[in-house]
Amino acid sequence: MNRRSFLKGGLAATSLLAAPAFLKQAYAAAPVTIYGLKSMSGAFASYGRFAEMGSKLAVQDFGPLLGAKPAYATIDTESNAGKAVRKVQEAVQQQGAVFFDGCTLSSTALAVGKEVAKAGGVFVTPAGADEITGTDCNRSTFRWTVPTYGAIHETVRPLAKLMPKAKRWYTITPQYVFGEALLSAAKDLFKELGVEHVGNSYHSMQEQEFSGYLTNAMAAQPDVLLILNFGGQASNCLRQAVNFGLKKQMTILMAWTAGLDQFQSLGPDILEGVYMGAQYWHQVQSPMNIELVKRVKEVYGISPNYPLAADYIGTKVILEAIKKAGVAKGPAVAKAMEGMVYDGPTGKETIRAVDHQVIKDYYLLKGKAKSAMKDPDDLATVVSAGQSFPQGDKILCKMA
Amino acid sequence: MTAFLKSKGIFGGMTLAVAAILVLLPLLLPSATLASEILIFAMAALACNLLLGYGGLLSFGQGLFFGAGSYLASLAMIHGGFGLIPALLAAAVAGAVLATCVGWLSIRRAGIYFVMLTLAFSQMGYFLAYTLSKWTGGDNGLLDVPRPDLSLFGIRIADLSSAGAYYTLVAVLFFAVFVGARRVIDSPFGSTLVAIRENETRAAAIGFDTRHFKMLAFTLSGAVTALAGALYAMLINYVPLDNIAMSMSENIVIMTIIGGTGSLLGSLLGAGALVTLGDILSAMWPRWQMLLGLALILIVMFLRGGLWGGVEHALDRFLKIREKGNAP
Repeated sequence: MNRRSFLKGGLAATSLLAAPAFLKQAYAAAPVTIYGLKSMSGAFASYGRFAEMGSKLAVQDFGPLLGAKPAYATIDTESNAGKAVRKVQEAVQQQGAVFFDGCTLSSTALAVGKEVAKAGGVFVTPAGADEITGTDCNRSTFRWTVPTYGAIHETVRPLAKLMPKAKRWYTITPQYVFGEALLSAAKDLFKELGVEHVGNSYHSMQEQEFSGYLTNAMAAQPDVLLILNFGGQASNCLRQAVNFGLKKQMTILMAWTAGLDQFQSLGPDILEGVYMGAQYWHQVQSPMNIELVKRVKEVYGISPNYPLAADYIGTKVILEAIKKAGVAKGPAVAKAMEGMVYDGPTGKETIRAVDHQVIKDYYLLKGKAKSAMKDPDDLATVVSAGQSFPQGDKILCKMA
Repeated sequence: MTAFLKSKGIFGGMTLAVAAILVLLPLLLPSATLASEILIFAMAALACNLLLGYGGLLSFGQGLFFGAGSYLASLAMIHGGFGLIPALLAAAVAGAVLATCVGWLSIRRAGIYFVMLTLAFSQMGYFLAYTLSKWTGGDNGLLDVPRPDLSLFGIRIADLSSAGAYYTLVAVLFFAVFVGARRVIDSPFGSTLVAIRENETRAAAIGFDTRHFKMLAFTLSGAVTALAGALYAMLINYVPLDNIAMSMSENIVIMTIIGGTGSLLGSLLGAGALVTLGDILSAMWPRWQMLLGLALILIVMFLRGGLWGGVEHALDRFLKIREKGNAP
C-alpha cells in the first residue's frame, strides 16, 4: 500500500466511523428558537441589557422542548423602530423565525407586532401603548403590561381611599398618545371619585426642565400632584419637585414608573414618602416571584427589575405555550396562549383571549426612608395591589 | 482603474461600477432587505451630496424631506388608494415643492445662518408630524403602510411582496437617480454649482444668478430625498416618527461625509458602511455608536475625500507602484 492509498483508506474509515454522529445530528429535532427584540444599543440600552438577561434565563432554565433544548437569539433593535422592523423581516425570511419577545418602545412594539402577524408568528411584549391590545391588536401579539386604564385605577383609587380628605388633584402630562391616555383615564376616575381636577400642565416629549409646570402646580394648591410622564422625564420631574419642596406641601404620585432601576437612580432621599405605580416589584411574595428572585440573584447577583421580570415571563409563556400546543407553529401556539392561566411574577396571571391582554396585578408603592431600608433594593413598600382592565365596550380590540 | 472610474461618459466608468455593485449587493450581504435599506439611504445621501458636495450647502433639513416623502406616499396609498408609481411620484413632487419653499427662505442666508434655518425647518416638520397624530400616528408612527404591486395603467407588472422583488425595484430606481445625478453634475448646471461652491461672489460677478442655481439644487435634492423616504416606508410597511426627526438629518449628512462629499459613488459607500457596520457592530458592542463618532473624526481629520477619497488614493498609489515595478 502506497502513501496515497493509505491516506484515502484512512479518510474513508474515519468518515464511516463518524457517520452515525452526523446521522444523529441530521435526524435530531431542530431546537425552537426564541428571538429577543432588545434595545441593546441606542437611547434605551440600559433597559435592553436587563430585558436580555430575563429572556436568556427563561430559555436557559426551560427543559427540553419538542425533543430539543430551546435556543435563544438576540436581535438588537438599536432603540429604533425602523431598524427593528427590518431586522424582524430578515429573521423571518432568512431564519424562519416565528417566536419573538421584547420591545421596550411602544412604537417599535406596534410596528413589530404587525410584521410578526404578517408572518404568522407569536410576539409577546411589555410595551406601554394601549393600542397593542386595543385598536391595533392582532392574532399574533400579546401584551404583559397593564394598560394605562389599570395603572390609573390601581394608583389613584387606592390613594384617594387612603387619603379621603385629598380632594384637589393637579396633573403634569406629556403631550403624546401615552400621556393623553393616562390623563383621560385619570379625569374619568376623578369624576367618579368626586375629586376636583384643579389643573393640568402639558409638556413636550423632549422636555427636561419642569420648574414652570411645578410653579403652576404650587399656585393651584392641590392636595395631590399626579405625575403622568415616564422614564427619564418622570425622574427629572420628581427630582425638581422635591428640590422645590413640593413633597412637604402635597402628596406626590407617579402613576407609571420603570420600577427598581429607576428607584435606584433616584435614591431614598427623593423617594421617601412618594407614591409610585409599578408593573412589577421584586418583593411581591408570589410563589413564582420568590423562585425568580432567588434564581436571578444566583445567576446575575442582582434583584430582578421590571424589564428583566417582564421579558423573563414573556419568554417563558411562549415556551409553555409551545409545549402545550405540541408544535412550533405560530397560529397553534397563539391559540394555546389564549385563555392560558399561569403562575407569573405578580401571582396568578391570565391571558385574555378577546384582546391578548395579560390580566395581572398593578402595584401602588410608597418610597421608604433610608433608615427603614433592609437592603439597598428595599426602596419601597407595597401599599396595594389589584387588577383593573377595560371591560365590555371599553375593549377596543376587534380581532380579525 | 481610477481613470476608468473618472471617465466622463454618463453610461461608462462609474455608472458601470454602480451597476455591478447593484447586481452583487444582495449576493454579498446577508439579505436583500438589508441591501434595499442601504440603497434607500444611499439615495438620500446622494441627494445630500448634490447640495453639500457640489453646491457647498450643508443642509440639516434632509430629514424633513425624507419624512415628508414617507408620510405623503403612505397617506396617499392608505387614504387615496394610490398605486406604487403614483405614490412615489407624489412623494417626489411633494419633496420638490417642500424643498423649494425651504430653499427659497434658507438660501437668503449663507454659512451658519443657512444651516440654522434648515435645522429650524426640520424641527418644525418634526413637531408638525408629532402634533398631527391623527394622520401621522404621532410618536407611535404610521402603521399598516402597504407595498402595492408594480402596475402600469392597471396592468400588473410585478408582485413586490418578496424581499428580492422589492430590492430589484429599489435598485432600478437608484440606478436611474444615479444616472440622472451624473447627467446633472456633468451639465453646465453642475459646473455652475461647483463654481458657486468654490467662490460664490466670483460666480455672481460673471453673471450667474447664484440664488436660482442653489434653489434648483435644493429642489432636486428634496425630490430625491422624499423618493427615498417613500421607498423606506414601503420597505418596512411603517413610518416611524424618527423618519422626520433631527437624527435622520444627522444620519444622512454623516453618510454623505463618511462616503465622501463630491463623489456620487461615495454616497453609496457611506450609506453601505454606516448601515452594515451598524448591523455588525451593534451585535458585538452596545456602545458601537462611539466607533461611529471616532470614524467621523478620523475621516474629517485624515481622509478629506471620505471613504471614496481613500479608495481613490489607495488605487492611485497601487498603480504608481506597479508602474515603477514594470519600468525597465
